[in-house]
Amino acid sequence: MSSRTLRQVIVYAVVCLAILLVPSFVDNAFILNKYSRYLAFGILAIALSLSWGYTGILNLGQAMSFGLGSYCMAMALKLRTVPVHTGAEGLPDFMVWNNVESLPWFWQPFHSLPLALILGIAVPVIFSALLGWFIFRGRVTGVYVAIITLAVLVVVNLLIIDQQRFTGGFNGITDLAQLEILGLTFDAYGSSSYYLIAGALTVCLFLALAITKSKVGLILQAVRDHEERVRFFGYDVAYFKIFAFSVSAGIAGVGGMLYTIVMEFASPTFLSVPLSLSVVIWVAVGGRQSLLGAAIGAMVVTGMQGALSESEVFLDTWSLIMGFAFVLVVLFLPKGLAGAVEAIYARVFGNGDKGKSDREKTQAGPAKPAAEPGGAE
Amino acid sequence: MDIVISQLFTGLSLASILLLVALGLAIIYGATGVINLAHGEFVMLGAYSAWALQTFVGLGLLESLVLIFLIVAFFGWVIERVVIRYLYARPLDTILATWGIGVIAQQAVRLTAGGELRYVEMPEFLSSSVSVLGIETSAFRIFILFVAAGLFLLTWYLIYRTSIGIKLRAIMQNREIASCFGINSDRIYSMTFAYGAGLAGLAGALVSPLKSVSPEMGTTYVVDAFMVVVLGGVESLIGTVASSVIIGEMTGFLAFFSNDTIAKAVVLLAIVVLIRFRPQGLFATKVRS
Repeated sequence: MSSRTLRQVIVYAVVCLAILLVPSFVDNAFILNKYSRYLAFGILAIALSLSWGYTGILNLGQAMSFGLGSYCMAMALKLRTVPVHTGAEGLPDFMVWNNVESLPWFWQPFHSLPLALILGIAVPVIFSALLGWFIFRGRVTGVYVAIITLAVLVVVNLLIIDQQRFTGGFNGITDLAQLEILGLTFDAYGSSSYYLIAGALTVCLFLALAITKSKVGLILQAVRDHEERVRFFGYDVAYFKIFAFSVSAGIAGVGGMLYTIVMEFASPTFLSVPLSLSVVIWVAVGGRQSLLGAAIGAMVVTGMQGALSESEVFLDTWSLIMGFAFVLVVLFLPKGLAGAVEAIYARVFGNGDKGKSDREKTQAGPAKPAAEPGGAE
Repeated sequence: MDIVISQLFTGLSLASILLLVALGLAIIYGATGVINLAHGEFVMLGAYSAWALQTFVGLGLLESLVLIFLIVAFFGWVIERVVIRYLYARPLDTILATWGIGVIAQQAVRLTAGGELRYVEMPEFLSSSVSVLGIETSAFRIFILFVAAGLFLLTWYLIYRTSIGIKLRAIMQNREIASCFGINSDRIYSMTFAYGAGLAGLAGALVSPLKSVSPEMGTTYVVDAFMVVVLGGVESLIGTVASSVIIGEMTGFLAFFSNDTIAKAVVLLAIVVLIRFRPQGLFATKVRS
């Protein structure tokens, strides 16, 4: 393990520990629920960082995997409620209102909770693997990947809204039961859900870190930097991209499932274009080439959004402020907050550790010319 | 037979609106490679300009068109000068920056003009219906059809028959070498961006009597417009027209058999499949990588 990796692991572990300790200081259920929501977004941001920051796939449809995971969880929890109209083991209420006679086949597996939890990850992974196979086998790159993923997101979103009989349409799936695993109840406003999400965030973060540090991870980064060259080395670039694309979809699916637990509903807005583009923003602000940076970016931006939109002074202007902040980050901090922190670290401790500082220099290098024209003006 | 013609006309009307919105986007994207997600907001600003000029100045829609073009073009020019020009080397980052600009524009409009729906009056002599080929149809939709065709011809003329157009095409082929020949590429880029923004503003003004005007109205247009540009092929004006017609007719046709939502989903899927097998679009000869 190189000293840089060790340093990274320590920083990641400290941050995760800090996140896990939050409930010991906060006992306001409402605030804890809010923080849990930010953490779920953090998981979504990790997913995008893995595919965008490390593999160069700008997935504008990342919210699709998030939404699919969230709907899987919502379907399972919906089936655990007792509907008023049809009684025990009856149809979900919105199906009754829409004159659906019996539970459609794709709802059946969600009677089993373990199966539902697996599906919450498997559905986005399989869907993305197929989509990835379709895109990357054809060597579609760059902007076109962004446009295809965005279009597919819109299609899935439209279908869910249109098939109101089976999906709840615009309203989504509401009135859910609470998740119960092994006798533990995960109340949306309790610390148990917070610990669940914080734990999942930690696992996802370290899983993603392990992938980026593995040999596969190095090839992924090589693909990001120069796809053609990697292909000439004899690697099948498409498979590596499909791998990153699917793993990232799985992580986003986990985030979506957890988000449904804290929100207590699933809605088409979870896989809408605005959310999907927001994820890109969080990751860009945090630093796309840092998993932890991306997660923190998501928490900071959504946290700021929450704080600003609740305060009287900024009620009307918060999205204006966010917009400006975002444009400034794109112009002056192309590597986000994480890039800025690393640059400061390299400047302060640059001489101490030779191997590391060399690496820092090459990492910080390309960012400079891009940022300079803005500053030069 | 009447149904077929009226369906064809519905599709054509959809296509003309698509073309109006997509034309500006196609020029900006084709010429500079900038993916302008704020394009929908240019459309929205055009619609609001029409509303403001009508409500506060008392100008009719037709009289204010030139003014609206200039207002939105100026807005586009400012954005190009302040933000976009630093990002030409990072095309993917333009997606992010222009999205941020879109958020700012939406909120700024919401704060100044209010979040409620606004309505723009149709010019009186166009609010009647006329009969074309035995079909009763709105005169205003026919008017939009002609304006879209007119603006397309104007744009074509600008690009292929004027010296600015020649310079623009030279820059599109190779910016460095064009600059070596003394072409001020900075200036051409900002003019192109302003022109594209102005076209979007006109599109917004023209659709404003047909649909209600709201700060969020641009979002729906920008995705559709992108699909038109991608389907038609970058750097191909004819392609943009053809793909507007294809998408418009397809949407109209499919909506007749199912509903608007399914029609839109099917059209999007068709475009996705097309990008996969022909990323350069239907009509382009060259790919921008």
